[in-house]
Amino acid sequence: MKIYFHLNLGGFSNCYVVANESIKEAIIIDPGRITEEIIDTIENGSYKLTGVFITHNHGSHVHGLKTLRKIYTPKIYAADWEVAGNDTNVITGDGKVRIAGLSVRYMALPGHTADSMVYKIGTVLFTGDAISAGKIGTTNNSYSDFILRNNIERKIFSQQDGTVLMPGHGPPTCVGVEKLYNLDMVRTADKNAAPIEPLPDE
Amino acid sequence: MYILNKCLVHSCRNLALSTFDDEGKITDEQNYCLDHIPDPGKAKEQIYTYIRTHDVIVGLNTAGITFAGIDLTNKRFYGCNFQHCTFTNLHSEGLRSRMSMFDFTTFCDCTLLNCNMQFTSFGGSTFSHTLFTGSDMVQNNFNGVQSFQSSFDDSDLYNSRFIRAKLVNTSFRNCNIKKTIFLDCTQENVSFKMSNTREAVFDRKGSALAQGLD
Repeated sequence: MKIYFHLNLGGFSNCYVVANESIKEAIIIDPGRITEEIIDTIENGSYKLTGVFITHNHGSHVHGLKTLRKIYTPKIYAADWEVAGNDTNVITGDGKVRIAGLSVRYMALPGHTADSMVYKIGTVLFTGDAISAGKIGTTNNSYSDFILRNNIERKIFSQQDGTVLMPGHGPPTCVGVEKLYNLDMVRTADKNAAPIEPLPDE
Repeated sequence: MYILNKCLVHSCRNLALSTFDDEGKITDEQNYCLDHIPDPGKAKEQIYTYIRTHDVIVGLNTAGITFAGIDLTNKRFYGCNFQHCTFTNLHSEGLRSRMSMFDFTTFCDCTLLNCNMQFTSFGGSTFSHTLFTGSDMVQNNFNGVQSFQSSFDDSDLYNSRFIRAKLVNTSFRNCNIKKTIFLDCTQENVSFKMSNTREAVFDRKGSALAQGLD
């Protein structure tokens, strides 16, 4: 498995091309904007683009889909039907898709948006906007915030500490680092901690 | 790339070291971590030899190994894993790294001049007397780093993150810190002279430029 990273300068989002070199097939995660560089990556590697995975239906993560569908005919996986209408393979909950010779595990992680998905390929998690280095995704209300934190705790922090996180924005990170230094999650942990008993007066 | 196999010892949660075939190429076979490998000396030697003999290194896993006095000048690392490693007296000029993980690594008395390390993670690492002078360190993760007597002078740290970092006697002179996040940072004798601090994020309000403050 080979992962190619592309920074989409439009929305500063990250797009990933995951290629299986042995069978020359590839998938794309979050095509925010399709650039010549991404096309070159696919064409120079002689990869057949078999799938597109969308972490959530926000412009900076899906805008390139229109261009991509003019050139290739990949299967589109997303939790929101509106991403590509009837061509969308709508995925819900947690499960596994076998594509391009890769086993792609998907986990629903709502909070940032209702359709947020996290994809796990090998030991790499593509988290979209659910969590990025040191921060968690923005939410519209306190209930979404609670759901997001809860889901991160259950589905991401339960992974092995060395698991690499490739977020939708910003630098890569790993589970161990986020457990210790994520500003929003560490504060949640502090809040949930038992209150410290005041010392009895001497 | 990212062959992050777990150690063959069932109860161990450490990452396994890279394995090599007879031709010296990296394979994705299961292996033990540094603590459980039957012959750690041989495993280390194989990794040192691989780094010494290759200029472009893809998907190498060296978790937990100590590198002392090595020269990484003009080496290129893609998708490599150096988590929990220790680098001492490392010298390098023109080192290039993409998507590599240096989390919880210790850099002691290291010189990494004019490096190009992008989309790389140094989360929870310790830098002591380490120089990154004149480097391109765009979109890197420095969250939770502890930096003592170190320098990032003349570097491009665009869109990097130093959340919950502890910076002591560290200098960021003449750096590009546009969109760089320094939230919840502990600073002691840190210099940002000649850097575009107005474009960096030091608190939850965002950059001074975005707020329109003078």
